[in-house]
Amino acid sequence: MKRTFEVGDRVTVKNATSMFHTRTQAFTRGKTGVVVEFRPDWVIPEDEAWGRDTVERGGREEPFYVVRFKQKDLWPNYTGFDVDTLETEVAQRWLEPAKED
Amino acid sequence: MSSSEGFDEIEYRVGNLAPVLRTPLDSPYEISNQLFAALRHVLHDVGGQPDLPQPYLEKVEEEWEMNTYITCECLGWRGVWNSEERRRAENDLGATLYFGLPYYARWATVAAKVLINTGRITPDELSAKIDEVRARLEKKSA
Amino acid sequence: MTQTHDHDHTPIQASSGVNEFEVLEMAVRELAIEKGLFSAEDHRRFSEWAESIGPSGGSKLVAKAWVDPDFKARLLADGTEACKEVGIDWLDPTGTGTPSDYTYFYVLENTPQVHNVIVCTLCSCYPRPVLGMSPDWYRTPHYRRRLVRWPREVLAEFGLHFGPDVEVRVHDSNQKSRFMVMPMRPEGTDGWTEEQLAAIVTRDTMIGVALPQVDWTATAPPSQVGS
Repeated sequence: MKRTFEVGDRVTVKNATSMFHTRTQAFTRGKTGVVVEFRPDWVIPEDEAWGRDTVERGGREEPFYVVRFKQKDLWPNYTGFDVDTLETEVAQRWLEPAKED
Repeated sequence: MSSSEGFDEIEYRVGNLAPVLRTPLDSPYEISNQLFAALRHVLHDVGGQPDLPQPYLEKVEEEWEMNTYITCECLGWRGVWNSEERRRAENDLGATLYFGLPYYARWATVAAKVLINTGRITPDELSAKIDEVRARLEKKSA
Repeated sequence: MTQTHDHDHTPIQASSGVNEFEVLEMAVRELAIEKGLFSAEDHRRFSEWAESIGPSGGSKLVAKAWVDPDFKARLLADGTEACKEVGIDWLDPTGTGTPSDYTYFYVLENTPQVHNVIVCTLCSCYPRPVLGMSPDWYRTPHYRRRLVRWPREVLAEFGLHFGPDVEVRVHDSNQKSRFMVMPMRPEGTDGWTEEQLAAIVTRDTMIGVALPQVDWTATAPPSQVGS
């Protein structure tokens, strides 16, 4: 599947309603960070969790990204310092280009 | 109380003395959208939820815990489930079991469940085997 | 700070004195073997592998990276591949990797500007092939809740404090990647052998909740290593 984001792109995590299973953490939803690294194409956890863990079994494979957030953007009244960050991995379908303010 | 441990203990007691009116959920007729959203929340997604400092405990794996881990991995190795199915099964247990059971007890519970859910064993086979194993261990420890 | 329990921790006991969780696990295992889902030999082989893993694997990686800049570069570029140089194969023991640890291993280098620390908020993903079984506290909802949002508080509880010029970077390993921290080599270790260096790289320094100390190891001071 075509990679739609480049390293350095600012991206926002979509806030789709999740039921029953997700590996896109609630604390990242609607938050904006920067792509810092590519990960391989993996079958998405929404398919794996129901046994569709290979392409042959109907699992949808897509690019994953390491997204780095500033902690002060993630949490209200973050108690650490401005320089602090958090990195986590996000499937392409969960990302959209950051809306420019 | 003069020790700092005694201070924590008494302060928790003091904090819990406030009057509380609890309305237990017992299949209510209606609930707010906010409560529905909270109930719908995928259980394992706990990052950032409020919590208080606690001691960080070390614990050597007991034999049954190591065996549980290995049994679950063997089920994954030989294609009965993959680890994401195991993790979802742990969420599907619901909050009471997810947070009520010790870590590896959760693993053992969902391992039993997957065998039944995938039709590889029946519930009565599980019951019979549990009773058989218990009797065997009881005899051994007697 | 961690507290050591030894074997004081009493498992939940049914009134008969038998551990019901042990009963459940044995029941599942025996049924699985009876139904041919996996073999007793499979269980034994996986068990052997599980007994063989431990933090010494990670320590070797870090010590080697400290003395060999070319290895360090290889380790940071491809963690999974570099592990083979210290005898760790992420494909063990099944030939395709473990079901829970996968094969995408990344080492995170601490620098004077960046301190890395690892958590898995969603479950307790951990790089078992290089660090062994995870500590009990790492798997608790407590650590999973707090590290991502209050990292400096949690690190302070482990005895670590960093100023506003150090970026505390939390890695929430929520997918297939597995991480290990490469701590900075401390002052006062010039001329040490890899073995002496590995002795001060403890498990907690590779999770990111501790820093290596020249005068403290998991088992013995460095001067006694290799003697």
